[in-house]
Amino acid sequence: MSPQNIRELRIVGFLCNWCSYGGADTAGVGRFVQPTDLRIIRVPCSGRIDPLFIVRAFMNGADGVLVSGCHPRDCHYAEGNFYARRRLEMLKRFLPITGIDNRRFEYTWVSASEGQRWQHVVTEFTRGIHTLGPAPSFNPVSETEWNKLAVQASEGQGCPCHG
Amino acid sequence: MSPLDDLKTAIKSRLGELDCVIGWEQGYDQLHATPLFIRSEADLDRLVIGPLAVHNLATYLPGLRGKKVGIIVKGCDSRSVIQLLNENLITRDDLVVFGLCCSGVVSHRKIRAALPVDPGFVEAVDLSTDTLSITASGQTTILHMADIAADKCQICQYPNALIADVLVGSPQESKVLTTLACQEEFEAKSEAEKFAFWQETMSRCIRCYACRNACPMCVCRDFCISTSRDPLWLGQENTPGENMMFQLIHVSHLTGRCTECGECERACPVDIPLLLLRRYMNKQVQDVFEHRAGTALEQTPPLLTFKVEEEGIKERGW
Amino acid sequence: MRIGVFICHCGSNIAGTVDCPKVAAKALTYPDVVFSTDTMYACSEPGQDGIIAAVKEQQLDGVVVASCTPRMHEQTFRRAVERAGLNRYMFEMANIREHVSWIGKIMEDNTIKAQELVRMAVEKLRRNRPLIPKRFETVKRVLVIGGGVAGIQAALDCADGGQEVVLIEREQSIGGKMAKLDKTFPTVDCSSCVLGPKMVDIAQHPKITLYACAEVESVGGYVGNFHITIRRKATYVDWNVCNGCGLCLEKCPSHKHPDPFNENLCTAPSINIPFPQAIPKKAAINPQSCLKLTQGKCGICATVCPLKCIDYEQKDELVDVDVGAVIVATGYDLFDWHKYPQYGQGRYPDIITSMQYERLLSASGPTGGQIKRPSDGKEPKNIVFIQCVGSRDRSVDRPYCSGFCCMYTAKQAILTKDHLPDSQSFVFYMDIRSPGKLYDEFTRRAMEEYGAHYVRGRVSMIYPQDDKLLVRGADTLAGTQVEVQADLVVLAVGAEAAAGAAQLGEKLRVCPDQYGFFVESHPKLKPVETNTAGVYLAGACQGPKDIPASVSQGSAAAAKVLGLLSKKELESDPAVARVNQPRCVGCGKCIQTCPFGAIKEVADRFGNPKAEVIDTVCQGCGICTVTCPQGAIQLEHFTDNQILAEVQALCPPKIFANYE
Repeated sequence: MSPQNIRELRIVGFLCNWCSYGGADTAGVGRFVQPTDLRIIRVPCSGRIDPLFIVRAFMNGADGVLVSGCHPRDCHYAEGNFYARRRLEMLKRFLPITGIDNRRFEYTWVSASEGQRWQHVVTEFTRGIHTLGPAPSFNPVSETEWNKLAVQASEGQGCPCHG
Repeated sequence: MSPLDDLKTAIKSRLGELDCVIGWEQGYDQLHATPLFIRSEADLDRLVIGPLAVHNLATYLPGLRGKKVGIIVKGCDSRSVIQLLNENLITRDDLVVFGLCCSGVVSHRKIRAALPVDPGFVEAVDLSTDTLSITASGQTTILHMADIAADKCQICQYPNALIADVLVGSPQESKVLTTLACQEEFEAKSEAEKFAFWQETMSRCIRCYACRNACPMCVCRDFCISTSRDPLWLGQENTPGENMMFQLIHVSHLTGRCTECGECERACPVDIPLLLLRRYMNKQVQDVFEHRAGTALEQTPPLLTFKVEEEGIKERGW
Repeated sequence: MRIGVFICHCGSNIAGTVDCPKVAAKALTYPDVVFSTDTMYACSEPGQDGIIAAVKEQQLDGVVVASCTPRMHEQTFRRAVERAGLNRYMFEMANIREHVSWIGKIMEDNTIKAQELVRMAVEKLRRNRPLIPKRFETVKRVLVIGGGVAGIQAALDCADGGQEVVLIEREQSIGGKMAKLDKTFPTVDCSSCVLGPKMVDIAQHPKITLYACAEVESVGGYVGNFHITIRRKATYVDWNVCNGCGLCLEKCPSHKHPDPFNENLCTAPSINIPFPQAIPKKAAINPQSCLKLTQGKCGICATVCPLKCIDYEQKDELVDVDVGAVIVATGYDLFDWHKYPQYGQGRYPDIITSMQYERLLSASGPTGGQIKRPSDGKEPKNIVFIQCVGSRDRSVDRPYCSGFCCMYTAKQAILTKDHLPDSQSFVFYMDIRSPGKLYDEFTRRAMEEYGAHYVRGRVSMIYPQDDKLLVRGADTLAGTQVEVQADLVVLAVGAEAAAGAAQLGEKLRVCPDQYGFFVESHPKLKPVETNTAGVYLAGACQGPKDIPASVSQGSAAAAKVLGLLSKKELESDPAVARVNQPRCVGCGKCIQTCPFGAIKEVADRFGNPKAEVIDTVCQGCGICTVTCPQGAIQLEHFTDNQILAEVQALCPPKIFANYE
């Protein structure tokens, strides 16, 4: 299946209630048309977003994850997005070693008044994910694949220096 | 006097004020050491140190909170002690640190691989500066230390204990090499190759949690989120996905805390190269926050603080 | 659990691009959902009654409403389920309007998306539990920041309502921009005659404490219990003693400093009272120009002061005050017109701002109310007013309309004719914006009765010609270029966010919009509230406003505060962090990262350190929950399990069962 034939991919958004969620609302009120792939999970603050939520989404087959919070200095809770920035940056940098393309994960800042910016972010991110295509599934999805993996594991396909 | 004698003297003088001192003794054969809890001078006779004393004993410290404990640490182990202190997980006043100047430890995995057959019970071991001779089933094999040194020792930057009430031995130089070839080789692979590698490797994982239990920074013990229902982070299916999720939880919780002691990888019964993940994460932490866990007292783990302007983080525009 | 799902059509707002009956039908297949329906307007009275009836008939113990954004109606529906006898937290909302129907055009995709959002809400709700708010007492005192007309009104209304008020003003006197105005539109009555008595009321009201020359240093606490530190800047005059006699002003030898109250049209003594009606009427020394403070010599004011209240050693003073609510009324600043090259950037003295012109018109101004142009003091004959200087202009990042410039320009044109019957006013405008009671009639009067010549077009260039200014611009109605020989040019400068608003916003956790004005909680339904409970907005700090609108908002903010403080106790949001003590290892990471100091260390019965949350201090951000590796501290209503359930609902694990 080539990416062109896919109508929708699975994109999960984690949005801060106070700014980006409101920004997405503002975009809605302004009728700024966006791709429909994104599903938004509302959290009270970007500081509530455990990077492991994002990892969990990826391990469950999400094709992309987008996190958006308040601009630095504008956190409703004063410091939440400062912590979030560190945590999310580390995740973003770490993903490549796991084999998950880190272009599938972005974090950004959108305020409640920036409806147009939100439209732009969603459109660009969705386009990027469609360019990457569906994410590979970590778990084999068929019996054949399971068996193939079992054979590989017993042979130790491995990395040259780790056997 | 040898460093071991110095160490014994030092421990003897402090033993009275301590509930125990943690060190190593010979295990079931001469090749293997095992942790030793010294409670009396009689126990002290069994103490061994050296390249076969591989364990990071700091793993025991959080569980002994509230007791007066002495601990013998190599350079790498001392980082774990410092990190635990920095995170308020152990108390300095309750701790006496006997530091070693370490010239490296062996990798039993490498020894096993270098021997013609699985030795089973080792009858005799002879250690010299550069070689290790092993006699098993009446057959003697001589191995070069350079070939069987643990990976972490090849790039060791902290051979001498960074925290010590008593430091024994003569200080060692840190290694010139700072990155491992195998690490670089793996990092250079394509995302698809890495993905396939982990998929296959994680299908071997039996989720025994040995990596977690061996980790000095895994202090949650009975309350690890990997084995709880509330919160329920991890399913019980033994699939590559859930196994990988467990490893990613471990690495995520170690962000800015991992001291690269390598106990996780050493403990793994199915030889999963877990340090590939941890070294990579540590490199990111170092790049962004210029932070190396457990190298200085009074450090704040980077995820527990922030800067209003982060010089290390370049935010992507849209 | 028995869950009921209600899919709102919102008229055609949702139903236009989402197949609501289909979403409702699908919802019935989700776990624990026993009832599902679609409804025309869920928020309407019949809609809410329908929910309540269903809860009772179906013995529901949880409700999902799929409609607009929870930022709009979450409270509405929470109250509805509460009326139905459920705990208000046994409710979840799926946003299928702003996030679905309004942004996607394809019905099929929208319907699937709506179904999934409902599924997500159901899965979250299945893990909700009833939460009971805690009650806490409030401090019966209000802080009003800013002593312009909005702040004055808010302070007086709060004080009249029986609350203690602390009013702080950055400048030496309250009065704000209005105190500088000569007359006000559309009644052309004297600004200081309207404002003056209110200022006096502030000074005399027994419930109001006024700190002028003061700023907010730091803010702690939360709604009902804010701890404010105020920095009272050194005035070098003991205000407890000074009676405002003004002797020092007369004798001060250092007169060179421009007078900010008179918009720098003249100079002021280094020890000064800004204007005769100033409240408080106390002298203050300008440390930048005072000879004694800059060079160590002089000291005349100390000699002449009959009350001996001059104190050159005075230092800033910090005052702590606890308040239950805060009203922000920090106003606006005028746009700096020097950004425009076409107006000479200050090279021509006879191009002035509208506020400078107000001072020229004012009888208490530097010219005693005679219009004299700054260059040579002559009376101008042709006066050109240029509107939209720093308004509705993307090139200077001010795309918004400042709202009041059309009106004050008309007023100034009328006053010009009153002062100088032989004069001719020209007004360059883009559009006339005069929605307001008697406003449009007023601009008409300026044109028709007072003969102001209105030219629809922008000015492209002003350059000097002899002792006049040649103003060249377009007349877009006539389709021609026009040139006017002007004796004086008045720029109708727009409003922008006040200097220092961003810093104050950070302290109060009130966020600014892209232009620096504070953001209200909801543009229509909560215009004076902010997203920080207990902090309210009044006047132009929220966006450009004229006097009636500022006064109304001042009163509105006061009404909100009085409503808040009329309750003996407030309820805290129960969606706060909670510690599962057996899981806690007492490492204190949560204590270290909490921005509010809401977590303290306690000892369990074995003496082990454990974390404990102070409910009323916790604001519910959840930073701690992520910090805790063992998940021992969980933010209620946004627990790990709840968010994980949402993730799992969106990304059901792809798994091939291999149980061999």
